[in-house]
Amino acid sequence: MAEQELTTYKKPEETKDEHTRPGRTYVPAVDICETTDSLWLRADMPGVDENSVAVDVANNVLSIEGWVSVKEYENLQPVYTEYNIGNYSRRFTLSNEIDTSRITAKMVNGVLALELPKAEKAKPRRITVSAN
Amino acid sequence: MALVRFSRPFDPINALLNLQQEFDRVFDNPRGFDLGLSGRGTFPPMNVFSDADGYTVRMEIPGVAPENVAIEANGRTLTVSGTRETKAPEGASFHRRERSGADFSRSLQLPADLSLEHIEASCKHGMLTIRIPKKAEAKPRQMTVKAA
Repeated sequence: MAEQELTTYKKPEETKDEHTRPGRTYVPAVDICETTDSLWLRADMPGVDENSVAVDVANNVLSIEGWVSVKEYENLQPVYTEYNIGNYSRRFTLSNEIDTSRITAKMVNGVLALELPKAEKAKPRRITVSAN
Repeated sequence: MALVRFSRPFDPINALLNLQQEFDRVFDNPRGFDLGLSGRGTFPPMNVFSDADGYTVRMEIPGVAPENVAIEANGRTLTVSGTRETKAPEGASFHRRERSGADFSRSLQLPADLSLEHIEASCKHGMLTIRIPKKAEAKPRQMTVKAA
């Protein structure tokens, strides 16, 4: 069973519109936290480097995708398996409070880190009260 | 109520044999490996591969810098430990927390025919690869047969 799960499929990409990709796709585990200025997102994508990851924002939907190379697993006979190899994909709906033009992303040690800055209007503000 | 379909007449001997097989599967170590308490949910998850020259152990350790990983071989036990960077920005509140682990340590017992002195390890993009070669005497050898 283990061998079957680790088998890689080579299927050519047929159409540009459908975005089909060969192999399995997994949902990466994420941490999302918020500070007064931004939202921070960290996604675990082990085996993905900065050249094989895509972060897209369209219609307020943030989608992150990462592709792993299965080349390193060729000619290896699995004896014991706990994780499966596959690409990563996950989508999040953003609120209008995020300034999508200023989103920054970096990839460090297999973790995708995104900073989603809040728009100026969404930031908490304190109004100073003056006397008279 | 669960519905069970019987495809053949109930056979108590066969049922016992199946139970025996299940126990064997649980208690048999996979080819001399003893992984201790393990299974899904353990961090870091690990895959073990074999080939003619030895074994390759792969672990998923996203967020761990290569300098924060320590690998220790003691007798037949291999221990991988490290620290995972999960620090949040100052004053942050969490909306979602799915990533597990901060400090981790995982041990596995290796088969006796591996040479622990020649372990090589590399860490790239959150994947740790440990290569454990077989001892020279454990490798299959080919003899040439001479005509007398």
